[in-house]
Amino acid sequence: MSEETAISGEPAMSEPRRLLVALAGAEDPALVVELAGVLGPGGPTLDIRLLHVVDSGPRALLPIGLGTRRGPWPKPPERSIQHRLTDAEDEGATALLVAWHDRFAAGLPGATITTEVRRGQPEQEIIAAAKTFRANAVVLAARPRTGPAEPGPRSLGHVARFVVDHAPVPVLLIRRSA
Amino acid sequence: MAAISGLTSAAPLATVIFLVTIGLVIARPRGLTEARAALLGAGVMVVAGLVPPGAAASNVVGHWNVLLFFVGLTGAAAVAERSGLFDAVAGTSARLSGGRPRRLLVAVVMAGAIVAALLSNDAAALLLTPVVYVLVARFGLEPLPYVLACTFVADTASLALPVSNPVNVIVSDRLGISAVGLVPVLLPAAIAAVIALLGCLLVIYRHQLPATSPIVPAVDSWASWSGVPRPLLAAFGAAVTVFAIASVLDLPLGPAMTAAWLLLLAVERRCGSKIGPLEGIGWSLLVFVAGMGILVDGLSSAGVTAWLASLVLGPVRDVPAAVMVVSAAAGAVGANLFNNLPAAFVLADAVHGAGLSAASAHAAAIGTIIGADLGPNLTPVGSVATLLWFVLLRQRGMEVSTWSYIRVGLIVTPVTILAALGVGLLLGIPW
Repeated sequence: MSEETAISGEPAMSEPRRLLVALAGAEDPALVVELAGVLGPGGPTLDIRLLHVVDSGPRALLPIGLGTRRGPWPKPPERSIQHRLTDAEDEGATALLVAWHDRFAAGLPGATITTEVRRGQPEQEIIAAAKTFRANAVVLAARPRTGPAEPGPRSLGHVARFVVDHAPVPVLLIRRSA
Repeated sequence: MAAISGLTSAAPLATVIFLVTIGLVIARPRGLTEARAALLGAGVMVVAGLVPPGAAASNVVGHWNVLLFFVGLTGAAAVAERSGLFDAVAGTSARLSGGRPRRLLVAVVMAGAIVAALLSNDAAALLLTPVVYVLVARFGLEPLPYVLACTFVADTASLALPVSNPVNVIVSDRLGISAVGLVPVLLPAAIAAVIALLGCLLVIYRHQLPATSPIVPAVDSWASWSGVPRPLLAAFGAAVTVFAIASVLDLPLGPAMTAAWLLLLAVERRCGSKIGPLEGIGWSLLVFVAGMGILVDGLSSAGVTAWLASLVLGPVRDVPAAVMVVSAAAGAVGANLFNNLPAAFVLADAVHGAGLSAASAHAAAIGTIIGADLGPNLTPVGSVATLLWFVLLRQRGMEVSTWSYIRVGLIVTPVTILAALGVGLLLGIPW
């Protein structure tokens, strides 16, 4: 069935229209240039959705929610703390996406660029977002590492691995150029 | 006093009561709190005739110093939290880091170490970690390394002073050793352990921390010290001084800590706080400690702790260095089998009943404190037993982060224990 769409439908990789770009935040800004190199110039046919997922894991690890640590200690009023955590997450996510929005707008002029924040497990949320956005392709960038990011065994983190395994559409993986 | 007494016929019953109580503390069926579980266990010990009611009462009264100490400490931590001290500490870390993730990690570890040393490990873990999370989220960085750093340093730095960890006071109180007298050994040990922790974290996260943070919030957007009322800041200084002087004079730490807390409370009131003075006191910690005291008393009079002491310390009892190493290992294992406070209680009682020489008892105190303070870093919830329970409950969202915690804990825990033990052996044993 998928072969049929690939033959009769629009070519998926050569000119994807709806592109979901998943951003952890600290990726190399050169990502936009590399993407433009693959896609060609921007233009009105390009609809880019920038997605940032606030990973719910670390917050679940915070001792406030766990109840048992060792000390039945003075617990801070939980609701106000949770509000502060959510506000900080929103502030960080918004600032990240604003910065990346500007970079994409400059690197791919004319393209429609929208942003989206989700919360949860990043790999799951990226797949879910690709479905709701009806993306033609998902773009992943190598995680911001200070070391070399050469292709090879174990060069993908668990998030990228999961997305490659589960994405219903082509996945474009952009590694940091040497 | 017989050095090592045999088990009495009450030993099986006492052991069962103790283990069931620990099981309840860990599993918390129907939201049963730790304090109530300990109280229940203590009640059963008394009803079963293992601890006479009079002895139970005098046990609680005998812990007056420890109990007063916790009232003061939890109260002081609550005042610090309300005054915005933790926000100021985090804000200073943010400014010092200049938006560089690696420096921020160092700053978070330092801030956590200072808070843990002065206001206890749980103040750092429960009150500072959420503030650090807020800080890191605003930088647009992945929070996991920083959240873990803060949780780990809370226990790692808690060796430093008597105030840094309830275990420190419980162990020295039980052994009749001056908690302050251990500071010349434990403070350097804590510094070594914190440096070892920092080294581990920098190596583990060497590839994951970007060179610069993706967002650099405006410098003046961070909470600053001017947010903390001036008189209260002065009172904190005064409280630390009062406590330090009392420590040097070898006065009981309980009243000293309570005095420091009352001073803070008075100043907070004058600064216009309307919060009830007893708000934030860890009453349940007091009940838990009192209950544990009675439970361990039951074990002790049944001969269980003495039997444990002969089992664990028997072969090496006259070699202080070996005693220190063995009790550190026992403390770490015990902290993960049960929970660190009960483990510290049992071990301290075992050492106490073993009738060790002064040098061996001193070494055992240092070892037990190192093991019971640093051991819990292996898991995010205080002990392997608690963690297994959480895994059984399949808490949502726990899987990935729990394993990323344990991976780091498996490296950090032995390394920090070895670093602290190295210093302990160097400074704590008359070679």
